[in-house]
Amino acid sequence: MSRREEIIARIREVERMPSAVQKAVVLLGDPDMDMGELARIIEHDPGLTTNLLRLANSAYFGAKRSISSVREAVVRLGASNLKKLLTTAGLAPVANQEIKGYGLPPGTLLKHSITVGVSAEELARQLGVHAPDHTFTSGLLSDIGKIVLGTFLAVDAEPILTLAHDKGMTFEKAEEEILGINHAEVGALLLDFWELPENIVQVVRWKYDPLGIPKRDLALDLVHVADALAKMSGIGVGVDGLSYRPSDTVAKRLGLTSDIIDKTMAEVLDKVEEVFQGIGTPEKRGH
Amino acid sequence: MTAPRLITVSISDMKFSTRSEEVLVTFSLGSCLGITMYDPRRTIGALMHALLPDASASPDKARGNPYMFVSVGVRSMLRKLEGLGAERRNLVIKVAGGADMRGDTVFRTGERNVAALHRVLREERLGLVAEEVGGTIPRTLYLAMETGEVSVKTFGKKRTL
Repeated sequence: MSRREEIIARIREVERMPSAVQKAVVLLGDPDMDMGELARIIEHDPGLTTNLLRLANSAYFGAKRSISSVREAVVRLGASNLKKLLTTAGLAPVANQEIKGYGLPPGTLLKHSITVGVSAEELARQLGVHAPDHTFTSGLLSDIGKIVLGTFLAVDAEPILTLAHDKGMTFEKAEEEILGINHAEVGALLLDFWELPENIVQVVRWKYDPLGIPKRDLALDLVHVADALAKMSGIGVGVDGLSYRPSDTVAKRLGLTSDIIDKTMAEVLDKVEEVFQGIGTPEKRGH
Repeated sequence: MTAPRLITVSISDMKFSTRSEEVLVTFSLGSCLGITMYDPRRTIGALMHALLPDASASPDKARGNPYMFVSVGVRSMLRKLEGLGAERRNLVIKVAGGADMRGDTVFRTGERNVAALHRVLREERLGLVAEEVGGTIPRTLYLAMETGEVSVKTFGKKRTL
């Protein structure tokens, strides 16, 4: 078995996000969904319910008055917000652990993930475009492959880093050379296995190679840039650092300027903190 | 001897110290700049972690927190240190960070941050004693108040700047 095949085989053994999250995200994609059924699915999972209510009352998700039950959250927040909230709540316990292989202390990957989701939406706002509905969720889940490689498989980043450094290669290309697969593809395979919607899986798969996606998607362009912004801001950055290449083509077709980049980064910091505090996770260190 | 007390500086923040048992530290500088200023005669020092080059990106945020921006942050930091009794001509100024994405021709935030620092220091007629900027690696920056020693850590290895 090649290293690649070995990694793919192990994806099936990774502990799932709460199944309620997957069910709810699929339900939320259906315009005829039954709100009552959705609330029942969520209420079945007490941990998820707690996180959902905390987030629903956080500044970022903008509840004007306090939301005290799942039913109220489902009715008042709307499908789009609910999807973001549920994925954040579902990802929190999975992404909050230490990711050893990538040199990420507890809480760091979660904060980085939130930063990518928040930055992608803020970037759309600054550009004056409408972010597709799956933008936030795709950004949020886009580094989930690191959990598989860095925790479950305890991948050693040292040879990957050395190769990236010596050959001036991007980190994900060095991963491909050494492991036969990069963490974006691992993440996409994992989310596909968990039966998350295809448009989310695709954004995650092509995050570092946005021109490779078969069907162009604005959400991917936004997440690709948002990921770079998150890395530049240093929030939740591991040993791989900033060793990724932003696409000129994507920058051009989005009409990015340094002014828009700076405005986006200036807005994102506080918003990330709002979401992060909403989950009730204590800060482990500086950021 | 007591162990040094670590004071953490978050993104878009500045902390100062006048206590020799303290060490100011900021973690994971990406494109951001970690700027240290230290008056060895009076043991007064500060560390700032600035996110962006110029306050024009968000005058609103800059009013609330100048330390988000290199341009206004450096001036605010200088005023603070002078207020504490530090003298400009004694100040030892060092910087680390300013990394950029690999082969980046798009954002260049790190490069722009470094340029902004050089500009503001020139305008303030201050010199930079040491710098470790650029590349694609995240850095941690320390200022030890007792000695004024500034050090940079990457991948678990620490060196004096």
